[in-house]
Amino acid sequence: MDLRETADEIAFRLEARTWLEANVPSEPLPSFDTAEGFALHRQWEKKLYDGRWSAVSWPEQYGGRGADYIKWLIFEEEYYRAGAPGRVNQNGIFLLGPTIMEVGTDAQKEKFLPTMASSEIVWGQAWSEPNAGSDLAGIKSKAMRDGDDWILNGQKIWASRAVWADWCFGIFRTDPEAERHRGLTFILCPLNLPGITVRPIAQLDGDTGFAEIFFDDVRVPVENTLGEVDKGWGVAMATAGFERGVSLRSPARFSEAVNRLVQLWNRLGDKSDTALADAVTDVWMQAEGYRLHTYQTVTGMLEGRPIGAEASLNKIFWSEMDVRIHEIALQIIGPEAERMEGPLERWVDGFLFSLSGPIYAGTNEIQRNIIADRVLQLPKGM
Amino acid sequence: MKFSFTDDQRLFAEGLRDLLANECPASLVREVWENGTGHSPELWSHLSGMGVLSIMAPESDGGMGGSFVDAILLFQELGRAAVPGPVLEHMAVAVPAIASTTFGAPLIAGDSIATLWVDDSPYVAHAAVADVIVRKDHVLESFDATDAHGMDGGRRLFTVAGGERTNANANVGGLDPFDAMALASAAYLIGLSERMIEIAAEYARVREQFGKPIGSFQAVKHLMSDALLKVEFAKAPTYRAAFSASTGADTTTRDISMAKALASEAAYRTSRSTMQVHGGIGYTWEADLQLWMKKAWALMRSYGDANFHRRRVSGFVLA
Repeated sequence: MDLRETADEIAFRLEARTWLEANVPSEPLPSFDTAEGFALHRQWEKKLYDGRWSAVSWPEQYGGRGADYIKWLIFEEEYYRAGAPGRVNQNGIFLLGPTIMEVGTDAQKEKFLPTMASSEIVWGQAWSEPNAGSDLAGIKSKAMRDGDDWILNGQKIWASRAVWADWCFGIFRTDPEAERHRGLTFILCPLNLPGITVRPIAQLDGDTGFAEIFFDDVRVPVENTLGEVDKGWGVAMATAGFERGVSLRSPARFSEAVNRLVQLWNRLGDKSDTALADAVTDVWMQAEGYRLHTYQTVTGMLEGRPIGAEASLNKIFWSEMDVRIHEIALQIIGPEAERMEGPLERWVDGFLFSLSGPIYAGTNEIQRNIIADRVLQLPKGM
Repeated sequence: MKFSFTDDQRLFAEGLRDLLANECPASLVREVWENGTGHSPELWSHLSGMGVLSIMAPESDGGMGGSFVDAILLFQELGRAAVPGPVLEHMAVAVPAIASTTFGAPLIAGDSIATLWVDDSPYVAHAAVADVIVRKDHVLESFDATDAHGMDGGRRLFTVAGGERTNANANVGGLDPFDAMALASAAYLIGLSERMIEIAAEYARVREQFGKPIGSFQAVKHLMSDALLKVEFAKAPTYRAAFSASTGADTTTRDISMAKALASEAAYRTSRSTMQVHGGIGYTWEADLQLWMKKAWALMRSYGDANFHRRRVSGFVLA
């Protein structure tokens, strides 16, 4: 155990810091869930790509730096420290990308990874359906084979980024006889094809960060299948494991948020309110604990101990911590917490956004079931 | 940056776990509660023979020269087995602090048993089985100990009077004995919590109600998952605190306080949830769970409780 950074890691950190200081926009970009903000975020991703910072942990041949996970965490710390824009192509770079590298064909890697790293193609997710939410294996959208094509029919919902994204990835039922998680196939699909209708859904904050996607006899080539036909559930779960595990919410995000919370407390907090002071320290410790836990997990991955169902613990931890950080902030700011626009609006926006965390990427109740079943080995049953 | 233990550190901890599975079953923990000693000489000599008790003694004094990083998983394993007696006080303070004094050799050999009396505490745990009591600036021998009726029969409490004083410095490296014990206790509390979760999971797999194992009910699953969550997220801060203490980092006090606050709260939450999973049997003297719960309730308050340590962290974090 040595928790000090190596000379190489320090040099990497400084290189990232220098580049970000020179390149991060001085003013925050508009939300990427607006037309204007989406375009500006895509431009930012291109700039990151040109500096080879968009996917640091990817191999160099696809536009990355071949950085190990420790360096990826260091980059993330610098990224949040610099106040850099949100990652509009998160679904692609952090979820689909690693899955393609694991199960994709060479042709798929060549076709999809470079344009993903540069955000020439921005990806949306198409997993949930109106009747397949927590019970994701209840998927009904179909893919029927016709020659060298799949014909897609059905409806997806809560499709993140789908309003302005270029492509989506999802799972479709390819074996109508099979039940539940069998007979599903992971398919990649452009969103501008005939037969596709995207209906934006306004989120709690009013932005259209997700959408319904209707598929009406949409034709896509069978080369767009990721992994084996009828084995899409396993592919999807690998992606979801990555999402819950380390990639979706890097600790740097929360370290940065609690540092801002401490500053907010120092500036505005009623210092006689010792209960609130305790709450600030509690959540600071949580963020620090999450950071340490992640470094431990990542060292384990580098030493060949891959993350399993424990990933569900992370998802519960960061999502509840994020809500807690914002609840405390709103307590500190008092009456300003009722205003959607004003000097402290970032905390109010952040509070609304934080409330999605315990729900998406598998609700925290589902995560608790996964932990109980797979880590604690309790008997299955609903 | 490398946040993991070496193979040697892991193997030593696994070896200790195996030893304790054989030599410190729940029946032994219960026996030393019920015979009123709170200590097992046979177990003590096993721990001494394996080199556990002397791991933090300097090599020049015949020990293993281990750091807190080397010892932290051992503290955790001792907690997992709810090992009775002054193991932490002996290992984490007495042996490393006074190894090179005249008291050192028998302590390192395990022939003499030490416990610790921290300043401001009215009570001394394990005093009746200890040959010496280590205080911040001296060592006591030939003292009188009066039973103060502690809750944990494996950690009996006493008031202490009299005794012969010999001046000695009880700091461990640069660490105050209180902080050394806060760190060791944090790891021990994690071990206790891990075992409480295992005991409750074993019970939930076999106890049936409504014709099904109660572990199949979501209310039970979620109670157990939440306890595990708290315990798992107390580990990395505890290991980090061990690293800080081993390297004399500037943040050592803050890091130890964070570890003790998180481990204390995790252990308490775990005790409540695992007792609840047991239902009525959890409220009995007969259920082994109480051997772990009561030790958790004793240690979470010792060497600074969660409130104390949280406030100490606040002192470093808030303006």
